[in-house]
Amino acid sequence: MALAQQRGGTLTVGLGYDIDTLNVYSTGFLGDVQAAVVEGLLAPNQNAQYVPVLATQVPTTRNGGIKISPDGKRMTVTYKLRPGVKWSDGQPFTSADVKFTWEAVKNPKFIAESKDGTEDIESIATPDPLTVVVNYKRVAPDFASTLFTFGILPRHTLQGKDLNTDPYNEKPLGTGPFRVKEFRRGQYVVLERNPYYWRKDARGVQLPYLDGMIFKIIPDSNTLVTQLRSGEVQMAYGVPYSQVGQLGSVPGLKVIKNNVLSWQHLDFNMKVDAFKDPNVRKAFAYAINKAAISKALGGYPTPINTVVVPVFGYTNRNVPRYDYNPARARQLLDAAGWKPGPDGIRVKNGQRLSFKIMAQAGRATDEDAEQVIIASLKGVGIELQPDNKSGVAFRDARYKGNYDLFYGGWITSADPTYSVFFGTKGVNNGQGYSSAKVDALLARAESTLDPQARTTALRQFQVELMNDLPSIPITSNPSMIVVTNKLGGFVPNPTNMTNFVNTSGWYLNK
Amino acid sequence: MNVTYLLKRLIGAVPLLLGVSLILFGVLHLAPGGPLDVYADNPSVSPEALAQMRTAFGLDQPLPVQYVSWVTAFFQGEWGFSIRTARPVVQEIAERVGPTLLLGGTSFVVSLLIAIPLGVLSAVRKYSAVDYVITFLSFLGVSMPVFWLALMLQLVFAVQWRLLPSAGMQTIGSDSVLDIARHLILPAGILAFASVAGWSRYMRSSMVEVLAQDYVRTAKAKGVSGRRVVYRHALRNGLIPIITVVALDFATILSGAVITETIFAWPGMGRLFIESMNGRDYPVLMALMMVGSFALIVSNFVADLAYAAADPRIRYE
Repeated sequence: MALAQQRGGTLTVGLGYDIDTLNVYSTGFLGDVQAAVVEGLLAPNQNAQYVPVLATQVPTTRNGGIKISPDGKRMTVTYKLRPGVKWSDGQPFTSADVKFTWEAVKNPKFIAESKDGTEDIESIATPDPLTVVVNYKRVAPDFASTLFTFGILPRHTLQGKDLNTDPYNEKPLGTGPFRVKEFRRGQYVVLERNPYYWRKDARGVQLPYLDGMIFKIIPDSNTLVTQLRSGEVQMAYGVPYSQVGQLGSVPGLKVIKNNVLSWQHLDFNMKVDAFKDPNVRKAFAYAINKAAISKALGGYPTPINTVVVPVFGYTNRNVPRYDYNPARARQLLDAAGWKPGPDGIRVKNGQRLSFKIMAQAGRATDEDAEQVIIASLKGVGIELQPDNKSGVAFRDARYKGNYDLFYGGWITSADPTYSVFFGTKGVNNGQGYSSAKVDALLARAESTLDPQARTTALRQFQVELMNDLPSIPITSNPSMIVVTNKLGGFVPNPTNMTNFVNTSGWYLNK
Repeated sequence: MNVTYLLKRLIGAVPLLLGVSLILFGVLHLAPGGPLDVYADNPSVSPEALAQMRTAFGLDQPLPVQYVSWVTAFFQGEWGFSIRTARPVVQEIAERVGPTLLLGGTSFVVSLLIAIPLGVLSAVRKYSAVDYVITFLSFLGVSMPVFWLALMLQLVFAVQWRLLPSAGMQTIGSDSVLDIARHLILPAGILAFASVAGWSRYMRSSMVEVLAQDYVRTAKAKGVSGRRVVYRHALRNGLIPIITVVALDFATILSGAVITETIFAWPGMGRLFIESMNGRDYPVLMALMMVGSFALIVSNFVADLAYAAADPRIRYE
């Protein structure tokens, strides 16, 4: 683009949640504000691929950044750090900060939300200020999606401090394009330009272009939309589908569709007797009209046939498919011995084919989809009664499997670990699904760095899963971003690393 | 009214608060889930990390032990730390008290100033056009959902006319009183609308009753002017039943207006309660509910004092 990016201006962003802490390792949210302030060694880009940030390259076996031990059981990852990077207080950024980050997060006294990846590391060596050698206890192909990608902590201000209560949690010190000027709890965070930022654009102009960013906390989604319309907020993401249409026609605003790494699914509780029959599960799949669900949600969601969203190279398009076919669903149910009863609901041995379905209460998108599912299944003689729950009660039921059927969605990192969802011991496997074959395939995929072997294992896993069908993939739901049309240089990020992971190139046209 | 009575009332509140705390604690812990469940939303939290947090927050102790240690700490002014933000509960609440008192207080005063005269007017002009209009508006105010009214006013004042901000407590970086006042208009107005509607009804019926009393008729017969009868003789007695209603609403000022604060992104206690509720942040929830209970006890007490002031026949010993 020949147009010169304009320098200056402040972008006001509306956030739909109340920030708990600005420490990336202990927040319960994805960390939108933090991503503009704190940088990691790597970050996922708009194609969900890792790119170097504070490191000069993404370590791989090919470039020598990753070395596997001769016995194939351990690995060493070497990061070369970018020279000349400074913290926003002017101090130099070095390999000691990287090592400190591991030690601080690993420290049992630090109560963190995410310590993922810390236990895999045996030791870290820092032969010089710009080299970090991380010795892993195992071969960990997901090393990039955790620890050092989340962010690096400054050793010079945090050493010896209690990270649980340190002022860092209110005013984090980072190497990112912005630094925190003011944080008023429950109200807003004001970010200002980091004068020491390391990045320049192609013409040698010091980044970031923006003078600052403001994050306004607006928990009510209707109010958030009102603020967009009144111009009090210039950007918001996760805007309800039902309101996207009217916002698109507001002058000065534009709508961006972000195909996030999320998939919606209908899970069976495998402990329920009727669901132990695979033909019953398949009948459900044939009976659900995914296109109708997408249509009910404004046409934004894309119907899917596997749990691996199409962005990934290892998505398998040749999985067993269950295209909408209510006649086939009825056949399967007839064959399984479920015959229509007097009220149209199928019966077998005096038991009605009637279940409770749980979705997250108050999440309009999910509740609308749930209605379509209920209507679809009624057409083939299956009765579903909504049993929606909210907040902690919802999560509790989801993790313990206190439901017959569960409709919901997951959003993952650029490098998802599927065993947490479908492994026999997976922490998110509340439905009680267990398959030795799937466990073995996921174990293979999650312990090799060989992309070919990984792809093969993950493709086979998808075939197995769709054969078993413990979970019916329904749609992939994009996140709708509404933003002022003056904003340039913005690319949405589909991962759970937030849209604000690379703000230095954003600019506002005057 | 004497000092002994005052002391007695205050000391009597202690076992009451203790009982309330026991019930609240029990109910909270009976609800499904626990504070650490918020972390379960993140697929990358390890079971080890969860176990470690459980120990750190004392959540692995048996419930009675947790309760006793909470009670002793609480009454010593040690309110613990928020599980959600890791900050002292006292600090969390202290930051939210100001905005809540400002919003609740403003709407309270405004409501009183409007509701009492409106109720009196309605009563004096019973079955007139004015009375019907006021009645109609009151029913509107009582039955209209807050969120709907808020949405409409935001649309009109912020989107269409761009006269007032649609949400927030202040323009970023500005601490001017005028700016805060501008932000206060919509939420305080909506809160006041609902209170005025309710209170003016009570005031009306109470006044109607008083105006029919013998002494009012006597005063009128003696040639006292109508205005003087209403404001000197009747109003004072008419106020007494209102005091109870108003005092109960007074207590809720401190608890915050949950819906209004959320819709208007007002950084008060109501929103803190919702966030703590969603995160099962037990220490903050307990403290908030205790503050709310305490406010209720105090406002009851204030109501009794107000009775005595309004009606000299009432005496507390």
